[in-house]
Amino acid sequence: MACKPPSTWTQYRTLLAKDLKAEFRTKDMIVSMGIYAFLVIVVFGVALSFARPGAEFLEASGGLLWALVVFTSLLGLNRSFSHETENGCLEGLLLAPLDRGVIFLSKATSNLIFLALVEVIAVPLYWVFFSSFAAPAETGWLLVVPLLLGSIGIAGIGTLLSTMTASTRGKDVMLALLFVPIIFPLLYACVSATTCALVGGEVFAEGFFTALALGAGYDVIMILASWVLYDFVVN
Amino acid sequence: MADKKKLKLPEVGQWPDKLMAPALIAGAVLTTLGFLMAFFIVPPVGGAAVDGVELIGDSMVSQKMLLSQKIFYFHMPVAITSFLGMAFGCYYAVRFLMTKNQRFDTCSRICLEISLLFIIMTMITGEMWTRFEWGVWWSWEPRLTTYLILMLIVIAYFVLRSSVDEPERRATFAAVIAIIATVDVPICFMITRLIPSSIHPVVLREGGMSPEMGMCVGLCALGMLLVGFALYRARFNQVRLTQRVEALKESLED
Repeated sequence: MACKPPSTWTQYRTLLAKDLKAEFRTKDMIVSMGIYAFLVIVVFGVALSFARPGAEFLEASGGLLWALVVFTSLLGLNRSFSHETENGCLEGLLLAPLDRGVIFLSKATSNLIFLALVEVIAVPLYWVFFSSFAAPAETGWLLVVPLLLGSIGIAGIGTLLSTMTASTRGKDVMLALLFVPIIFPLLYACVSATTCALVGGEVFAEGFFTALALGAGYDVIMILASWVLYDFVVN
Repeated sequence: MADKKKLKLPEVGQWPDKLMAPALIAGAVLTTLGFLMAFFIVPPVGGAAVDGVELIGDSMVSQKMLLSQKIFYFHMPVAITSFLGMAFGCYYAVRFLMTKNQRFDTCSRICLEISLLFIIMTMITGEMWTRFEWGVWWSWEPRLTTYLILMLIVIAYFVLRSSVDEPERRATFAAVIAIIATVDVPICFMITRLIPSSIHPVVLREGGMSPEMGMCVGLCALGMLLVGFALYRARFNQVRLTQRVEALKESLED
């Protein structure tokens, strides 16, 4: 019987399924990320407890939402590679005859899925807690687009960085140290787009699409770069 | 094997070493000349006739600003040198990933060290200017932001280096970060510039540089580049000789 090597797509799906299965059995990461996100919201609540409610809050709320996303994703990214190194899974993965790019893509996808799941919980929570400050414009729901765009970029570059920092000393700090400055342009674009969506009206028409286009450009360039460089990092 | 033979490695005593001392002297002379020229020859921007000596006791802000503009002649050359250092650091990082030869990692690291030195000088001169021109120590203006990010990434680069023990892995990670930084910084600049924001102060730029200003900046830039090159080479020699001494010690022990 002839044995056909599995196609790249099959490899990708298998790896992704492995990550998802491992996660949904333990629910380790999602629970900790979700609770962490909630705690960040509580901290925001304290920080804003003496702020006056009003329309000006909308200009800051997009940024706060992104602070929430960045902190939560840092936590998730830190853990995403830790089970691989803990049990020596990484060696097994590397021994298998697959393209390193596939490992990167599957890992990035699983990170994206976890981040998206947490966002699905955290963003409505954020809205519930802070909707008393100011009501967003009717374009507010469009913040989903920058959220998705930002999460893709975070998952892409974050996977590369977390793979690197998993084998360094003081990995949590190291990841934050690298991740925050490198993600800065994307963060800037996404905060701008989110704020545009929340404020609505003229501001929306003026800046939303430019910011989105720039964020998408960052995503494409950075994911390509990480994809190429992943080969070197993982060996 | 043929490939290995062709691979030319940077080493102590090659031709750039001959240029090191002249470059250092020329750089020192040129930057000093530029310094003198900036204060004594180049007129203040906007054609205002202000005597530099009388200005010191003067409290008028506009005149202070005219004098504070002089820092531009050092700020820009230093910034250019730091960018060039980054570019070379990235080049050597790519070479390292292609050849996996530790020598290129050493080169890349030294490039970034020199670059960090110049980045810090840029930040200091920039802050001094910002303080006088805008009245604040910091503002989230595109150039400043980009520079801050660049500085943070380069610092993170060195922290990363110090937290990996295995030389091969350390070099690879460092090379990856050097490349990512070089890709990230232009994007950062573009994004902070293109996204409209009502908060940022609009930086008014004059219509261009007068020939004297251009010449002064050119002089300083050339001088700074030469100084940067000499520093790089000196540091490279130092590091390389240390490595060779270590290698000799090890072989003697065996």
